[in-house]
Amino acid sequence: MRLKLGKIGLQRFVIMGIFVLLFIIMSLLSPVFLTTTNLINVLRQVSMVVIVGCGMTLLLTSGGIDLSVGSVLALSGVICAKLAVSGVPLPVAILGGVASGFIIGLLNGTLVVFFKIPFLIATLGSMYIARGLAYIISGGQAVVAGLPDSFKIPGRGYVGFIPIPILIMIIICVVFYIIQSRTILGRYSYAIGGKLETAILSGINISNVQLLFYSLVGLLSGVAGIILSSRLASGQPNTGLGFEFDVIVAVILGGTSLSGGEGTILGTIIGALIVGVLNNGLNLLGVHTFYQYILSGATLVLAVILDMTLKGRGIKIRHKIRQ
Amino acid sequence: MGKSNYILEITDVSKYFPGVQALDKVSFKVKRGEIHCLVGENGAGKSTLMKILAGAIERDSGEIVFDENPVEIHSVHAALNLGIAIIFQELNVVNQLNVYENIFLGKEKTNFGFINRRREIETAFKYLKKLDMDFDPLEKVSNMSSAKKKMIEIVRAITYKSKLIIMDEPSATMTEKDVKKMFKIIRGLRDSGISIIYISHRLEEIFEIGDTVTILRDSKLISSSPIANITKDVLIKMIVGRTLSNKYPVEKRRIGDVCLEIKNLSTKDFLKNINLVVRRGEIIGIFGLVGSGRTELARAIFGVDQIDSGKILVDEKNVEIYKPADAIKIKIGLIPEERRDQGLVTILTVRENVTLSSLRNISRQGFVNRKKERFIADKYIKDLDIKTPGMEQAVANLSGGNQQKVVISKWLSTNSNILLMDEPTRGIDIGTKSEIYKIISDLAARGTAIIVFSSEIEEIIGISDRIFVMHDGELFEYLNKDNITPEGIINYAIGGIY
Repeated sequence: MRLKLGKIGLQRFVIMGIFVLLFIIMSLLSPVFLTTTNLINVLRQVSMVVIVGCGMTLLLTSGGIDLSVGSVLALSGVICAKLAVSGVPLPVAILGGVASGFIIGLLNGTLVVFFKIPFLIATLGSMYIARGLAYIISGGQAVVAGLPDSFKIPGRGYVGFIPIPILIMIIICVVFYIIQSRTILGRYSYAIGGKLETAILSGINISNVQLLFYSLVGLLSGVAGIILSSRLASGQPNTGLGFEFDVIVAVILGGTSLSGGEGTILGTIIGALIVGVLNNGLNLLGVHTFYQYILSGATLVLAVILDMTLKGRGIKIRHKIRQ
Repeated sequence: MGKSNYILEITDVSKYFPGVQALDKVSFKVKRGEIHCLVGENGAGKSTLMKILAGAIERDSGEIVFDENPVEIHSVHAALNLGIAIIFQELNVVNQLNVYENIFLGKEKTNFGFINRRREIETAFKYLKKLDMDFDPLEKVSNMSSAKKKMIEIVRAITYKSKLIIMDEPSATMTEKDVKKMFKIIRGLRDSGISIIYISHRLEEIFEIGDTVTILRDSKLISSSPIANITKDVLIKMIVGRTLSNKYPVEKRRIGDVCLEIKNLSTKDFLKNINLVVRRGEIIGIFGLVGSGRTELARAIFGVDQIDSGKILVDEKNVEIYKPADAIKIKIGLIPEERRDQGLVTILTVRENVTLSSLRNISRQGFVNRKKERFIADKYIKDLDIKTPGMEQAVANLSGGNQQKVVISKWLSTNSNILLMDEPTRGIDIGTKSEIYKIISDLAARGTAIIVFSSEIEEIIGISDRIFVMHDGELFEYLNKDNITPEGIINYAIGGIY
């Protein structure tokens, strides 16, 4: 494979640099940071953001966005738990949870593609609807009583020595990396986000592609919801508040353009890791949550400034005129 | 006072971008109150020079003297304050605002921070009247023609009290009539002492309106002299750097069977009862002014706009085209009017753009065969002589002519049998233009049926086997074979009888 040089290469290099720097700083500041247990813990924490982030990267690249992922996370967990409590075999319950995510995604896609509703409004609407459904189905309380022991497997189990959430994350990353870099679908996401009219006039069926991307994001949110509820050992309707922003932050940090046409899965993974390492490190250092918010926000803004400056769209660095 | 005769003196200005010397020690002077034409092929350095004067980019070396003072122009705002206004090729008006709001955009007339609406309207009215423009300052801009919008930008430049106005291809999307009107305004400005730098690819215009002409080629100054001292042939030679033996290829082609037939095609709001038969290997030229329906016809055939009634037959079989994908399936291709917004995804690479429409053909189970893809991109870069550092170059970095070649490649890679080309050479320099004519002619020789929609009469006459004229949504064949002249066709197009 030939390397694509230029701004994209440079940008990835910079975001990677930020990650490595952060990693080194945290290792120096905290003796616990560099232990296997802690690092696995970081990966487990970021797994849900990465899983949903993979779909969100494709969606954002194609010029869309989905704000409902946090609510879908809760809905999927609640449905899965409710089904498990009612005696349905666990695999079927899981499928039910994931399916609910897919359906909300499909709804988002339908609203955007066929009813031509602006995506911010459409997914904001379904964000409320999904949250409401989660509360109604759970009766407003965590679904705990009567859950089988096996319910904890997806979130806390291991395959060999690898935690299942991390395994799922790796598989999804590989699949979406391939989708984005090798398939027609990946190329179409860049074309649609890059210039919609050209994409239409080139014969691309943009409706189907967009519909698929929204559905995929919903499906992945469903998967993440199963992992979360399993880790919590309950289906809680109030989880995932603000999760959509964690995902979008990771995707943007990773260099995906909010205006579409640019973005990589690899960038999103690194973006999520930066957030994960930062949060974990600050926790280890005993920094109060209030200050963590400020530091996370500052990191995002600084990273985007750096990114835009490197792409030549941000602050202009004035060169002195040679005489 | 002994004021200098020159408003602008550029001496040894250079600019280097990574990989390209965009300007190489360019020097020339613009007199007060003259129309100074700036010409050169795409990539010759005109835009770079203009951006430097506009304050959008900064020069590496050299000196700029404006109105007798050496200047550093750090921003567009600074340029305006000096008295340099630029009218870019792309329209720069806010559609949601009305005429006077656009004119005063960015330098609103205010009282204690509140906009003085009445004064703005009155001033706008005064300027419009002075320039003999017949539109209402309160009219919304969104419904106006692109020519009118351009005029608003000119008014805006004047209200800045500019001493130098730079216009980049203002006539590119205008009808002859609008151009005439604009010329009258430009001459008026000159006579009142304002200097104009006029950039255009249309050489006839330069001879019509220019006082002085400066020619750039390969980032260097070739010549700067009064227009009276130059002939058209000499000018072309200086622009291209070689003699163009024949702009339009003369080849005998074999015209084959009927391949596209349009019967009584109408659309709800515009096209009326269009009939057209195109054969393999034939180049049909459809001349039409802006608003005549030429773009609408191309879009209707390609399935972008819905057809209300009528039939389209391809290879004598009835076809249903509801969307571009349907048209592509039956091997029709469309090279759209707006290259950057409709033909290309400019942030993607040459390779990705070339294969955008044919991706399915080189994929299996959704996976792109990358070896095949590179092969195709490489083939067309060579075949059409696309000047690019490589297939992984973003299309945005290519010159207009080479971008157009990428759009053409896109349709060649789908093996289109029928190619609709809407303004295929708009904004393209003469050197690349004749290359594109050669490509069109070669395609026809290989049996492709081609319809060229254009507002350039010379081009229509030069390349077409048969000429049609569009007027007010109707299509007529121009049958007067003995009198194929621009005047004859124009006369026909504006509804006259030849």
